Amino acid sequence: MITSLLRWLKHFFQPPPAAKLDLKRRGLIVGGIAGVSSAFLVRSSALGQGRTFSPELIRPPGATAEDDFLARCIRCGECMKVCPTNAIQPALDEGGIEGLWTPVLKMRLGYCEYECTLCSQVCPTQAIQRMHLEDKQKIKIGLAFFDRNRCLPYASARTCIVCEEHCPTPKKAIWFEEVQVMTPERTLTTVKQPRVNPELCTGCGICENKCPITDMRGVYITSVGETRHPKNQPLLDPYAS
Amino acid sequence: MARPKTTWPVWLRRTSQSAFLLLFFYFFLQAVYRPINQTGRGVDFFFQLDPLVLLSSVLASHKVAAGLSLSLLTVVVTLLAGRWFCGWVCPFGTLHHLISSWRSARVKERLTVGGYSRWQRSKYYVLFALLVGCVFGLNLTGWFDPFSFLYRSTATIIFPMANDAIGSFFGWIYQTDPGIGPAKVTSVSEPIYEVLRRHFLAASQPHFYGTTLLVLFFAAALFLNLYRARFWCRYVCPLGGLLGVIGKNPLVQIKQNQEVCNDCRLCVADCQGGANPDSAGGWKPSECVYCWNCHSACPHHGIVFAIHVPGGTK
Amino acid sequence: MADCSRRRFLHACAMTGAALKLGPLALNAATTSGPALSIARYKTSPQAPEAIAEEARRLTQEAVNGLGGMGRFISRGDVVWIKPNIGWNRRPEQAATTNPDVVATLISMCYAVGAKRVIVSDNSCNAAPPSFAHSGIQQAAEKAGAECFILDERKFRKTALQGKVLQSWDVYGDILGVNKLINAPIVKHHGLCKATLGMKNLMGVVGGERNRFHQDLSNTVVDLATFIKPTLVVMDAVRVLTANGPVGGNLADVQRRDTVAAGTDQVAIDAFGATLLGLKPQDIGYIAEAHNRKLGTMAFETLKPRRIEI
Repeated sequence: MITSLLRWLKHFFQPPPAAKLDLKRRGLIVGGIAGVSSAFLVRSSALGQGRTFSPELIRPPGATAEDDFLARCIRCGECMKVCPTNAIQPALDEGGIEGLWTPVLKMRLGYCEYECTLCSQVCPTQAIQRMHLEDKQKIKIGLAFFDRNRCLPYASARTCIVCEEHCPTPKKAIWFEEVQVMTPERTLTTVKQPRVNPELCTGCGICENKCPITDMRGVYITSVGETRHPKNQPLLDPYAS
Repeated sequence: MARPKTTWPVWLRRTSQSAFLLLFFYFFLQAVYRPINQTGRGVDFFFQLDPLVLLSSVLASHKVAAGLSLSLLTVVVTLLAGRWFCGWVCPFGTLHHLISSWRSARVKERLTVGGYSRWQRSKYYVLFALLVGCVFGLNLTGWFDPFSFLYRSTATIIFPMANDAIGSFFGWIYQTDPGIGPAKVTSVSEPIYEVLRRHFLAASQPHFYGTTLLVLFFAAALFLNLYRARFWCRYVCPLGGLLGVIGKNPLVQIKQNQEVCNDCRLCVADCQGGANPDSAGGWKPSECVYCWNCHSACPHHGIVFAIHVPGGTK
Repeated sequence: MADCSRRRFLHACAMTGAALKLGPLALNAATTSGPALSIARYKTSPQAPEAIAEEARRLTQEAVNGLGGMGRFISRGDVVWIKPNIGWNRRPEQAATTNPDVVATLISMCYAVGAKRVIVSDNSCNAAPPSFAHSGIQQAAEKAGAECFILDERKFRKTALQGKVLQSWDVYGDILGVNKLINAPIVKHHGLCKATLGMKNLMGVVGGERNRFHQDLSNTVVDLATFIKPTLVVMDAVRVLTANGPVGGNLADVQRRDTVAAGTDQVAIDAFGATLLGLKPQDIGYIAEAHNRKLGTMAFETLKPRRIEI
């Protein structure tokens, strides 16, 4: 019995000719070099190791820091399937070539629901960490910025603030200032001009999603301010609130 | 020579493949919002079974996600019984198998498509390159892992397309509202549509960027099966490579009855894994997916799979 | 929703044309006359969830009965659409969506007077499955036996509204086919128009790019309210959202008013709702506009509302 077991184990290392994997050493060396060089090429790229940050690389809340995230994510698409607003999309070049098909949020299609943690619940490798809803709501995935050249109250003297209407944070991260502006008819009117409070904003993207300037939004999210990257912060004390 | 009847192990294997494929789609459809802030259970079941996900994850991130330890079960089964997983469980493999079965009736053509090729080594090189990359922090196994590939393609291409096709059809009936007098088609089509919406269709149509690249790869993977049977499984799949390494010396092995063999090579013509079922002493356990096609194809019932006592005479 | 072909547009117009005979949408047919506004108020403000649920139920019943009972509005065999606010992915306690017990009570009252079908739905602003579930309305509606489903984006039909600003817009197809519509809003603060009440709640029956309405909210809302004159408006003010509306989220912004109002005059009931937030009706753009267009009166006291205290 024991000898049979030992013989069976021995066959793993000295298999009979047909059972040999028959791999060529040259093939293994080429494969090994390909693996090592790809790894170091990626590490030395501008995006690796937190050297620069891509504004479109908005990851789901709960995503670990980028190097760990890329090491864990298996590009399976479970998060993309489960996201109730269809915000999570397969990245193309936002995260470099190594980020191909990893999840990024595209706010033009969807936004991150404030009361939802579904992506973190389905991730098989926990590249998106499972957490309680209250903790997710404290995470920033980016910050909103207004493009005053396009936002209607700034650019066209029209009322809007759909962004402020939809902002889900309990104290709204979008506030507005009532400003007197001139209309094309050269009369004066008062409009509410929206602004972002970066301490409160979580980067959820519903403002960008609902902005009526459909092609290039009057307010948009970029990754700066994301909690998972302490270096990608604009504020002196980002956790002030 | 008349083709013999399909044997019962092949029917069993087909049942198993169908069941796991349906299970895959079932779990896929379960990945939806459930009240409140929940989703279906076990939606990442196939990934938990996948030892390549566990291995690559641990090598690259030095952390283990809970639940992936289920893949150790796959490792144990493969150690003992070889690549049964590829032949009986893997839903991606089932798709390849399905398309590979749709092939020429001419045995000579099937021999080219089904026979062993030394290029089948390439999946081990792919596996090695990926794992070496993982050691140095670059984990690209997700591009090649069969479940990732299938899930990603289903989520971004197949499901949105099916959802759109079905929804558009019923939407067209609703908008044109055909019928004779008070008898409207919608009185039948709407209830059917509601059932579909409740259980299969998405609450709102999903859309994805970058589908061109995804569909090109998916279509290529499927169409290459017409060139060589189970192309992906033989030449590319790193999970197949990993299971091939683990299953190098399985307890369940082929037994060929040399006395009845007349070298007709019908077994090779139907071989899905490219494992040389006709060759005495040349059968490759790492390539065999235990589909039992050879057992079914042999007109003399010369092939069977049986437990092989290690160290005894072959 | 892709552009309809001309043929389909005309077909939709033909459908609404039949309805146009009685008024833009044949929904305002109360069978008998009676009071135009009734306001039910609880004398106490209970805290226990079951007690609040009971309060909501009783207030709804008293408010509708104060107008003469549901039988005044719903007849045997009617197909009723109850349109609560299911716009947001929030809990009932956060007062962003209509109280589910108010909705459930309305459903039961409709069935009690012989309605054939009761439908409960809304075009949510947040993703629909979480909003329907989290607000508690899906569960409450299904328990009360109503059909509660998420709207299908393919079923919106381009409809001629013939409003001052909105000539035509995408209206949900199924709504064009019901007999009666009960508007069931909740009283909330709103950053742009100061308060969102009943007429603004009607934005949930249309689709398309609603996010453009805000550029002229007074006119767009009143155009909608003119086209869809609901049979009955039941205003939930058990809890109201006093700040950071219409989404809210902070329980500190929620206050109890322990009131449910019911009425047939959209403008009057909205004017009453505004006062619950401490606002003057004339300060709210769409109320003033609706009053000017004679859709109703914002001087709701002149309607001599029935006040019920329990």
